[in-house]
Amino acid sequence: MLSFTGKRLLGLGHRVSAAAVAGRGYHERVVDHYDNPRNVGSFDKTDPSVGTGLVGAPACGDVMKLQIRVDEDSGKIVDACFKTFGCGSAIASSSVATEWVKGKKMEEVLSIKNTEIAKHLSLPPVKLHCSMLAEDAIKAAVKDYEAKKAKHSGNADQVEKA
Amino acid sequence: MASRFAPRLLLQRLWTLRRARPTSSILVASESPADVGGGGLFSPPGPSSALDPRCVSRVFFSARPSALDERQNPAAIDYRSLMSEEEFHNLADETIHDLLEKFEEYGDAIQVDGYEVDYGNHVLTLKLGSLGTYVLNKQTPNRQIWLSSPVSGPSRFDWDVTAKTWVYRRTKAALLQLLEGEVGQLCGEPISLR
Repeated sequence: MLSFTGKRLLGLGHRVSAAAVAGRGYHERVVDHYDNPRNVGSFDKTDPSVGTGLVGAPACGDVMKLQIRVDEDSGKIVDACFKTFGCGSAIASSSVATEWVKGKKMEEVLSIKNTEIAKHLSLPPVKLHCSMLAEDAIKAAVKDYEAKKAKHSGNADQVEKA
Repeated sequence: MASRFAPRLLLQRLWTLRRARPTSSILVASESPADVGGGGLFSPPGPSSALDPRCVSRVFFSARPSALDERQNPAAIDYRSLMSEEEFHNLADETIHDLLEKFEEYGDAIQVDGYEVDYGNHVLTLKLGSLGTYVLNKQTPNRQIWLSSPVSGPSRFDWDVTAKTWVYRRTKAALLQLLEGEVGQLCGEPISLR
């Protein structure tokens, strides 16, 4: 299980070496999310109330899967979970993302910016890309849910006609 | 297509010049799951491919990178088909080395506290003291140059073959223009990077 097979920091390539060269430590919030990640897990992606955002690529050193469970009536995100393969900053960014989307409406979460995540975690310049990936993951999850919803209601119409 | 008799470098240049657009279609997640999945790491146990992209990604087929919307799914494109790794390294290194020189000259000409240009492990770091730090690096698997800016945050530039510059698809910003504008503004002295 992935569940933090990522207890090992697996940053690939230059981002790790740049950070190592600079001798920077991770901000305590990042360490906190790494040691006590919030909302790690997986929802059933075939569930119509679940939106799944999958972004990144292993070759780049970062893959994030962020899932949201949406309440159809209120349009609010009632639950969220994530799994991330990547550096501590990536894990923390996606963990923060799942915390921030809970209880919000879908339109609201689309306005979550990577700059806010980066500021919250005091990410150094070389790690800003992680926060952007988290923002992308949120957007991808919302898009997926909406696509599923549209498809689902399309099918429902057809059933009714028949 | 390489001729054994022509010098390799010349051939590469010829090939680059002749190419009007990237060859072949852009592979999409469904055809190259290796690019997208952490393999079976994310999928629930069961049949089906390690990562069924139809469930999560927008699938789009296009032969030209400019038609791709990175917003939809940054991972769904097989960038290897855009240019060879060697060509990417040549292009990117040239751009970065060029920037390195220009930033060094600029630093000599202006007075900014804590101004420092650093280049190591193919990562270019431009420190502007309290004004912030720029980090520029190559992201080879994606054939991109990644920039982290204290002004505009993170951006990822692809090589635009027609414009012959590095362009960030989401904002259409060109790398050199962006840096000129931001750095010039921050330091109060115009800089020419093109």
